[in-house]
Amino acid sequence: MSSEAFTQLVDAHYAPLYRFALSLARNSADAGDLVQQTFFIWATKGHGLREAAKAKSWLFTTLYREFLRGRRRDARATSIEDLPPGEADIPAEEVDRVARLDASTVMVALQSVEEVFRAPLTLFYLEDLSYQEIAAALDVPIGTVMSRLSRGKSQLRAALAQGESAAASKVVPFSAAKGGGRS
Amino acid sequence: MTNEEAKFILSAYRPGGGDAADPAFAAALTQAQQDPALGTWFAQQQRHGAAVAARLREIVPPAGLREAILAGARASGRPSVRAWWTRPSLLAAAASVLVLFGVAGTMWWRSPSMQLGRLEAFAVDDTLHARHGSHGEAVSALGTVLSQPDTHLGGTLPVDFAALRTTGCRTINFAGHDVVELCFTRGGAEFHFYVLQQADFPRLPASGAIDFGQREGMAFASWTDAAHRYVAVSAAGLGAIRQLL
Repeated sequence: MSSEAFTQLVDAHYAPLYRFALSLARNSADAGDLVQQTFFIWATKGHGLREAAKAKSWLFTTLYREFLRGRRRDARATSIEDLPPGEADIPAEEVDRVARLDASTVMVALQSVEEVFRAPLTLFYLEDLSYQEIAAALDVPIGTVMSRLSRGKSQLRAALAQGESAAASKVVPFSAAKGGGRS
Repeated sequence: MTNEEAKFILSAYRPGGGDAADPAFAAALTQAQQDPALGTWFAQQQRHGAAVAARLREIVPPAGLREAILAGARASGRPSVRAWWTRPSLLAAAASVLVLFGVAGTMWWRSPSMQLGRLEAFAVDDTLHARHGSHGEAVSALGTVLSQPDTHLGGTLPVDFAALRTTGCRTINFAGHDVVELCFTRGGAEFHFYVLQQADFPRLPASGAIDFGQREGMAFASWTDAAHRYVAVSAAGLGAIRQLL
């Protein structure tokens, strides 16, 4: 792959890869490392133009595997798999809640979702991969992806509710802050 | 198909996804159109999902990550496919490198000397290939104007966009951490000066002698103090670099 093609590949995918990495690694530095490492592997393995069509899936898959290599699998991951889907109705106020929160708060909420659900959930919201590609990237059956999405969404909604409560508790009335600062 | 089964399938559905037309969703989508309760649930799911996805798209990668990826690939000596794909000797050499990286994994640059070498290669490569300019006069001049108490930003500002784009300091990303680059000239020679926080790079040597070197026609020196690691790069040669120190 030429230098120009490599640059195009980076431009096309580094931002969504970073968002995925940030949800997994939970901090910007490690997320940046993961993205760099992923492209480094691509570069050193010298992938050709013929593989460019599959590049996106390959990059997400490799990033996830690099993340997994960096730490041991959580033993709870397999047991959680057995839990039934927990999709409940979403009250309208929960939808409005997301609209009120900023991107970083939503990311923090996503990062609090258990990892086994977090990876498919992030890939789902990023909309870069099909559900079949998500299954392939995570090396799990399609049904498992759907199950994890269902559970993950429930956890995310709970985390978003907590995130909003936390954000609200940080709000200091202007008059109180002013008075406190001068007393 | 029960509504619970439909919910299970529709939990993976995204109207903006590349798989939205996948036949696997068809029956569940039809059921959502026909069943009011399921339809309400589905509509709320879609609104919620769209809101979360929109927020995630607002997450911006750190400044310089793109440049770091590109520079890192160049610094690794990434050849074109044809250059080493078709040459057995280079293929064998590359395989050796891959084995080395494969065995070491992400640990490959964690030894202090290797990480220092990687940093120096990064700095040289950035100097050679990144978009930056000579000495940042335009940035400095604009900064002076902006900092003046009587400057009204609503008015006309002396912005030379081309100069700003090609000169001045930048914050770039190396191994996931910010590195500040400043460009300056001294004695007619141009220098690129990179500053890292030691705390961000605990695996870099925290002290030691100044490390001089040359790479790709550029001379560089790397040294440290209590809080920072510095790399100076210039095409003016090692003599010019030594005169800085």
